[in-house]
Amino acid sequence: MKGDKEDKVLRELFRQKLDNVEVITSPSVDAIIMRRLGRKEFLRFNPARFNIWYLGGILIAGAALAVILNSGSDKIKQVQPQEPPAQAAGEMTGENRNVAQEETGVSRINEPVKSIINPDAGTKENKSEALNDLTDEKTEVRRDNIKVSPPGPVSRDGLFSESISGKDRLQGGSKASGGLIEPSVTEGCAPLRVKFRIKPGSFDACRWSFGDGGYSAETDPEWIFDEEGEYKVTLKIFNANKLLSESSATITIHPKPKAHFEITPEAAVIPNDEIRFLNYSSGAVKSRWNFGDGNSSDLNEPTHSYARFGRYNVQLIVFSEYGCSDSLTVKNAFSGSAYFINFPNAFIPNPTGPSGGNYIPKGDEADQVFHPVYSGVSEYQLKIFSKLGILIFESNDVNIGWDGYFKGQIAKPGVYIWKVRGNFLNGEPFTKMGDVTLLKN
Amino acid sequence: MMSDQQIIEGCAKHNRKAQQVLYDKYSRLLLGICMRYSSDKAEAEDILQESFLKIFFNIKDYSGTGSFVGWLRKVVVNTAITHYHKNLKFRYHVEIDEYISVETGVSSFEEAFFTSDELFRVLNELPPGYRMVFNLYAIEGYKHKEIAELLGIDTNTSKSQYSRAKAVIREKLGKLNKLKETYSAGDN
Repeated sequence: MKGDKEDKVLRELFRQKLDNVEVITSPSVDAIIMRRLGRKEFLRFNPARFNIWYLGGILIAGAALAVILNSGSDKIKQVQPQEPPAQAAGEMTGENRNVAQEETGVSRINEPVKSIINPDAGTKENKSEALNDLTDEKTEVRRDNIKVSPPGPVSRDGLFSESISGKDRLQGGSKASGGLIEPSVTEGCAPLRVKFRIKPGSFDACRWSFGDGGYSAETDPEWIFDEEGEYKVTLKIFNANKLLSESSATITIHPKPKAHFEITPEAAVIPNDEIRFLNYSSGAVKSRWNFGDGNSSDLNEPTHSYARFGRYNVQLIVFSEYGCSDSLTVKNAFSGSAYFINFPNAFIPNPTGPSGGNYIPKGDEADQVFHPVYSGVSEYQLKIFSKLGILIFESNDVNIGWDGYFKGQIAKPGVYIWKVRGNFLNGEPFTKMGDVTLLKN
Repeated sequence: MMSDQQIIEGCAKHNRKAQQVLYDKYSRLLLGICMRYSSDKAEAEDILQESFLKIFFNIKDYSGTGSFVGWLRKVVVNTAITHYHKNLKFRYHVEIDEYISVETGVSSFEEAFFTSDELFRVLNELPPGYRMVFNLYAIEGYKHKEIAELLGIDTNTSKSQYSRAKAVIREKLGKLNKLKETYSAGDN
């Protein structure tokens, strides 16, 4: 038979030409294979091959374990606020002798904390840092601890003299009296940073109590109030270990509003859907929406339509009656959006002539163009075939559908096969096929 | 120079040198096989990687009877089939392509005329399902029943895919031939 012979010819052709063809591998592939092999070989458990790599692994694991244990003991030491400072300092130096590395570990941990609590600390602090005074470092740690868990007054006499002698903005002469506190602000939104100053006067030492369990002995401390409420800040000043005076001030921290919202529908079809933004904020009197596409709204619950699919960060900023604000941003808010593409199964072309396939999404009521309903499509290729396998129509633009015409003539009513392939905006490819019935008007 | 026997024994003991020798000796041949099962060289090299890892770790399974190269080929072909199954999205290609498969007149061509590069390109351009069946049947010499089992398809599907693959290949070869003829005609 002719067919058999041709079949044999074709098979012979491919067998002869391709069966023993050698193709040079890319050098990178050689390396990759050998590397993957090496990795697999290494991971293969084989006690007979106890080699330097295993030994190295054990050493590294041992070292890591040692580091973990050491840092653990560091932490324990840090959270012992009751310990007198002198003893602590002594301990530090003792440790310093043994494990020099640990010391750097501690100070590194403390530094960021310190900068939060006392970011624009005066010359005193810089000086002591420059001096690398271990004792001072230690006290910094301890003060931080006090703020975390107020354990009651702590004796720090040794420091008083140092900090005061380090300061010369105190002016001698005038006597200490009541109402000495000068806060930078008296009310505000949490978290509120307040700088306190003492009215000029002469004294040896001072003691601040911030009303939230925090203490300080600095002459002009700075304190951050995290929670809403009214705080009574008291200041005691001492001269020659005698209480000279006591004064107080009130700091009011206003409650913060809480921004919260939801977007509906969850699986939005962009650009078709009108998106609704539901405001669930509390303690707010004013809202500001940024839709992420450059548009914004001051409505409480706005609606918005996006012109095209994309990554949008939706932000809501809310303000309380005191002007305190909070914001919530939902990044890439429409990532959960629907990615789909669907085609109708029938349509009636416009009998008056080819339209070119342009259509209005959701507007083509008469279904005169065969086009998809879709969301989140980036690349797209549509092919339509007749039942005989002839390519009737092809489009690489999702906005161009088939108007039912082929070579200027309205196509015959009947079933046509369509096949679409492409990518969604999230990178996922799609391939779909089906049939569509072309109906006669 | 190591003999195949020495290489196999070395690889069975996970000897790095034997593995390297095996790779150097056979990688080009096996890549040639992979090329037939892929759309491009990168895909072929992916299959080659997987194949070699299988070869190195399963060399104990080689019974010693039958040709070693035959065993290597079999591993590569099986890996290519696994690879094909992993990319099962291609499954959806098949049916619509029925409509494309043109039952045009059979193009005639001079067999000896084509280089292996051209044949590779023809195979690379085939839909993966066609390519798989064509490879297994025409070159590897499997029976349709075996192919059906390997690919998890019906025997008749294998047959019909093969005949469609042939039709597409013929058409492509015919086009190539015509191109060549016009080229050489213009040359003279």
